[in-house]
Amino acid sequence: MGKQEDFVLRALEERDVRFVRLWFTDVLGFLKSVAVAPAELEGAFSEGIGFDGSAIEGFARVYEADMLALPDPTTFQILPWRSSEGPSTARMFCDIVMPDGSASYADPRNVLKRTLGRAAEQGFTFYTHPEIEFYLFKDEPKTGEDPIPMDRSGYFDHAAHSHGSDFRREAITMLEAMGISVEFSHHEAGPGQQEIDLRYADALSTADNIMTFRTVIREVALSQGLWATFMPKPFTEHPGSGMHTHLSLFEGDQNAFYEAGAEYQLSKTGRQFIAGILHHASEISVVTNQWVNSYKRMMFGGEAPSYICWGHNNRSAMIRVPMYKPLKGQSTRIELRSIDSACNPYLAYAVVLAAGLKGIENGYELPREAEDDVWALTEKERRNLGIQPLPRNLNEAITIAENSELLAETLGEQVFDFFLRNKRAEWDEYRGQVSAFERDRMLPVL
Amino acid sequence: MTRADLRRTNRSDLLRLGFVDLDRAIAELGELGPDAGDLLAFLGQTADPDAALTALVRLAASVDDRDTLLTALRDDEGTAMRVLCVLGASSALADHLCSHPEQWHELTDPALGSTRPAAWAMRAALLAVVGADPADASPVATAPDREAVDALRVEYRRQLLRLAARDLTHHLGVDDVAAELSDLAAGTLDAALAVARQRVGPDSAAVALAVIAMGKCGGHELNYVSDVDVIFVHRAADPAADDTASANAGRIAAKLAAQLMQVCSDHTAEGTIWPVDAALRPEGKAGPLSRTLASHQSYYERWAEPWEFQALLKARPVAGDLGLGRDFVEMVSPMVWSAADRDGFVDAARAMRRRVIDHIPAKEADRELKLGAGGLRDVEFAVQLLQLVHGRSDESIRPPTTLSALARLTRGGYIGREDGEALHRAYAFLRQLEHRIQLHRLQRTHVVPSDAPSMRRLGRSLGLLKESEKRLDDTWQDHRREVSRLHQKIFYRPLLSAVAKIGSDEVRLSSEAAGARLSALGYADPKAALRNLEALTTGVSRTAAIQRTLLPAMLQWFAECPDPDGGLFGFRRISEALGRTPWYLSTLRDEGEVAERLAHLLATSRYCTDLLEREPAGVRLLAGDLRPLGSDALTEEMLASARRQEGDKAVRAVRAVRRRELLRISAGDVLGMVTVDEVGFALSRLTDATLEATLEVAGQTVRGQRRLDEAPTRMAIVAMGRYGGFELSYGSDADVLFVHDPVEGADAQEAGNYARAVAEEVRRALGAPGPDPSLVVDADLRPEGRQGPLVRTLDAYAAYYAKWSHVWEAQALLRADAVVGDPDLRSRFTALIDPLRYPEGGLSDDDVLEVRRIKGRVDKERLPRGADPTLHFKLGRGGLADIEWTVQLLQLRFGARVAGLRTAQTLAALSAAADADLLTHEDAETLAASWRMASRVRNGLLLARGRAGDQFPRATLERRAVAGILGYQLVETDRLMDDYLRITRRARAVVDRVFWG
Repeated sequence: MGKQEDFVLRALEERDVRFVRLWFTDVLGFLKSVAVAPAELEGAFSEGIGFDGSAIEGFARVYEADMLALPDPTTFQILPWRSSEGPSTARMFCDIVMPDGSASYADPRNVLKRTLGRAAEQGFTFYTHPEIEFYLFKDEPKTGEDPIPMDRSGYFDHAAHSHGSDFRREAITMLEAMGISVEFSHHEAGPGQQEIDLRYADALSTADNIMTFRTVIREVALSQGLWATFMPKPFTEHPGSGMHTHLSLFEGDQNAFYEAGAEYQLSKTGRQFIAGILHHASEISVVTNQWVNSYKRMMFGGEAPSYICWGHNNRSAMIRVPMYKPLKGQSTRIELRSIDSACNPYLAYAVVLAAGLKGIENGYELPREAEDDVWALTEKERRNLGIQPLPRNLNEAITIAENSELLAETLGEQVFDFFLRNKRAEWDEYRGQVSAFERDRMLPVL
Repeated sequence: MTRADLRRTNRSDLLRLGFVDLDRAIAELGELGPDAGDLLAFLGQTADPDAALTALVRLAASVDDRDTLLTALRDDEGTAMRVLCVLGASSALADHLCSHPEQWHELTDPALGSTRPAAWAMRAALLAVVGADPADASPVATAPDREAVDALRVEYRRQLLRLAARDLTHHLGVDDVAAELSDLAAGTLDAALAVARQRVGPDSAAVALAVIAMGKCGGHELNYVSDVDVIFVHRAADPAADDTASANAGRIAAKLAAQLMQVCSDHTAEGTIWPVDAALRPEGKAGPLSRTLASHQSYYERWAEPWEFQALLKARPVAGDLGLGRDFVEMVSPMVWSAADRDGFVDAARAMRRRVIDHIPAKEADRELKLGAGGLRDVEFAVQLLQLVHGRSDESIRPPTTLSALARLTRGGYIGREDGEALHRAYAFLRQLEHRIQLHRLQRTHVVPSDAPSMRRLGRSLGLLKESEKRLDDTWQDHRREVSRLHQKIFYRPLLSAVAKIGSDEVRLSSEAAGARLSALGYADPKAALRNLEALTTGVSRTAAIQRTLLPAMLQWFAECPDPDGGLFGFRRISEALGRTPWYLSTLRDEGEVAERLAHLLATSRYCTDLLEREPAGVRLLAGDLRPLGSDALTEEMLASARRQEGDKAVRAVRAVRRRELLRISAGDVLGMVTVDEVGFALSRLTDATLEATLEVAGQTVRGQRRLDEAPTRMAIVAMGRYGGFELSYGSDADVLFVHDPVEGADAQEAGNYARAVAEEVRRALGAPGPDPSLVVDADLRPEGRQGPLVRTLDAYAAYYAKWSHVWEAQALLRADAVVGDPDLRSRFTALIDPLRYPEGGLSDDDVLEVRRIKGRVDKERLPRGADPTLHFKLGRGGLADIEWTVQLLQLRFGARVAGLRTAQTLAALSAAADADLLTHEDAETLAASWRMASRVRNGLLLARGRAGDQFPRATLERRAVAGILGYQLVETDRLMDDYLRITRRARAVVDRVFWG
């Protein structure tokens, strides 16, 4: 055992930790947790904790059910919402391995690690900085009832006695207590909608942080009698919850996107990376926007893109190259605006990175920048400018994804196969649903 | 020597003495004056005469007493040898002498040749130059700091100069040199501590600090230049100190330790001494620099890892408060000796060693003296491991010095006497070479230089005055080979002693310890493994003795394969079966490749193990070429062996040849020497030959039974299905049609009966259980299937096909290849079926639909219940059937037009189809890749478990074995799965386009 493991074992004793939650993520992005007593942890470090993989979405076929969760000691944290009174609880993220010790290709964390490994072979490290949006409701959701937002404020509103700011203050305190730095937080445009931005970090840490973030937000909401949701589009009439993510590649200590004197200070590598994401945007859409509901966020304009294009400070573009800040060459980055808050962050970052790397490997040409508001253009104008739409619904996204080598290669065959089958089933189920919309429109007249 | 004499100096004399740059040498000799010629003989003994002479000229120019120097050199042989050897072997010491020329007088001391300086005297001299009192319990330096630091460096080098002179001139044992270097280091550490105390000031009296040497210095076996590994222990000087005072003492101790390290490692005008490395301390670089005894104790009791105990083997108090240091060693040593009992100890230790080897940059790996196979580390590691394992019960083998420990281990019987001595020689040589390399520039390096001048200098410094480079390289490589050979033996040998009484004076390893060792090596059932080892090595016979020398290597090879337990068990069964067969063990012992191949097969492939168990003599085959034999040679050999026998015996002879060839092919496959295409070809050729020979024997048998002189009919066998396509796997049945054609005037009924009897005899004789694997000859693809007659005449086939020609029958005939029996009949059969399978004008639309309809039904109905459609080799997504049907549909449609399509082989037809633009080359490549992948995994699975399987294996062991056979790392089974799924998925996409349209 290494020093990291020792550190954890010691911390368990010093902090009087009675339970350690071992966390991992299923293929759809749901957090899974198994609690072990500290005494079992030493064994868990060396041999892993066995579990029935077939019970986890997308992990295993029934007959090869045995899998092992191997805790990653560098992710050790005390859970702050359980430590106020008495003994505390801690958590660690796990890697999933097969009984013979080989890494499981079905583990989303491994999918991201493999992709980061490929980037590392080319000398790149991948940094991400997510802006996570979510809604707060007054009560638990109930079938058939419209949710009531926590407040009626809007973008950047500062409400007196605002529950929202209390909420954000407590959530941020807790996130910081777990070693997750928060950059920025404010009220978003929708009623009860919040945004919290995490500080940039390497993609694996960010993905781990996002999983932690969702749990923290839900816990804090519950503790205040609220309900938090990351659903991409809970209201027809209000904006959806996206997860705009700023991306950058580093080569050693150097920002690989930065080139002094280039247009927008954007290097050739940066331009090819953007070209890669644009080129493969439709293919990876099923991962970055994985739910039926995701596509309803992307059809009304606003902060959510519907078309595959890029622009400098163009808020209608899928990829935005933010204003360059002089003297901050290291901060050159691009902002991808399609990802939503309900994605599996491991898979989403893996496919985005893979698409970008493809652009670099194959030297893709960056198409022309979109200077206009793309929603305002006519269909013909957009076609003339070579601007393609993103998939308009989950079905289109699945159909395109099914032929994507990039996706299969990045996710690994098992995840690819499971994921698309699962999404296909979701779509089929949805397709057959009779909605309130139909009843409201048709019952009175037909 | 006058100028004239010098000119007469024979240039070839200089060459003979080892000079390279003669003009320069002559000039320099002239500069030194008339007596220089007397030095030539001495210069000829040095490592580098040119360098020695040049340095001497420099030295003579630097000294105040040039005449005294030259006279001393001329008059005192000892002085001359010492000065010149040092100048020739070490440019760093030559530089030192030139900047401190007065020190040449040190080398005139005649005691250098006979007397080892006492450690206390070295320490006293080192303390004195920094102005500290050696008699003081905690000496403090009094010289001004900068002067003290410089003086320490000069004094260190003065003593090093004396030592180097002793080493180079007076043939000191390498262990003595290393011990003296360690003493010198210990004294230096003490003097550095005195300087540190002065820097810290009066506070330093509040704490007692002990310096524990670890690693080479602790083991009393230091190199010329090396990091000195240490651990610091302290306690408050006042035994009644309260918590605050104790905490304060800790801070002072850390300050002292840090200053001590800096005094040694700082670069000043007088250079540096060596870095002091405290990374072996608890918690490594993250831990506090110094701890109290109690703090050390709680760390070692609770947190320390196996390798840390291995490191503690060499702990030795060398400086500071020696009493405290001894307390430390007494405290840790019981823990050291119980460490080896901990679970996973050997595993951890081996893993550490693997990491060390992996980390050497490939560029330097083969010039590396210390790490890598056959390096110094190998010996040290083996010795320490044996010490830890056996030292618990035997205190005599605990000395920290490698060579002493090795000698004790040998004396105690833990290592064979010859092995121990060979290892001793090798280690001493490698260490001495390391010393000489480092001495040259006083640089810390373990890389043997590759340039000729350096190798020449090193060789000469070791006394190899002629052909120095080559002889040095040869000697080095010899020792390296010896070390890596012995390393393995020594490591595994204790396992054998656990189960076998090797000699009365040998110490036996307990079976618990041996079991722990085996399970760390990857054996799942150590108890069974020990039983197998016991069975193999018990007894005093020659066989058991040879086994004992073989097994260490075999055990290691097994351990590197997927199934070590299976390998060892198989080896036991084969060894028992062959017993004292004279060639068996000697082949294994003398032909390393055979033993390694055997170990690999036994621990990887049940199929090969089974073939070998059926006939252990097959081991011999592994010595030869494992490429498949050609079919002519095979048929000839089978017929010849059959002809020497009759009836069943003749068939048995044929089957024996087949078994041998199956072993050849499967062994080649497992060992990665043949491709999957070649395997299919070889197996089909082998089946051809088997059937050809058996058909002849069966004909004779039936004629004998029926008292016929001549056969009433001509017979042929048509290969069908995968057999016809040269795509057999190991376990496949041979699908065939039997056809005959009565000779003129023969009675039709009689001819028919005869032919049926022969066909039945062929099937019976090859299918009967026996010592050699049976071959199931399956004729179910014949017209009307099992309801139809087993054998038909050519005319009957013609009549049948004229009447019933379903498209699926034409499809089946695509794979027909008439290969065995009467050549004329074979070609007539082929002429008969060609128009059927390659119909003029291709297929009607209805027929195309029919083919697709049947495929759809096959996909749906034939897949076994519960099978995973993505993982079934034959019927799964992108599996063999997908690809074969795709190719066959193209053949049926375009075979009449495209000549290349008229073949029974899937891959050949596929590439012909691509050449004819019936599908793209890319699609053809995708299909071929998937076909090969599925075939390889299918063959791999059969080889691994000995039984055929039709889908990707589920059991861990089988997956590992398949991964191993396919050339993947054993821990990459999920990568293999990912590759399989990807390749077959791509193939399915092509099938969807090309077959389903």
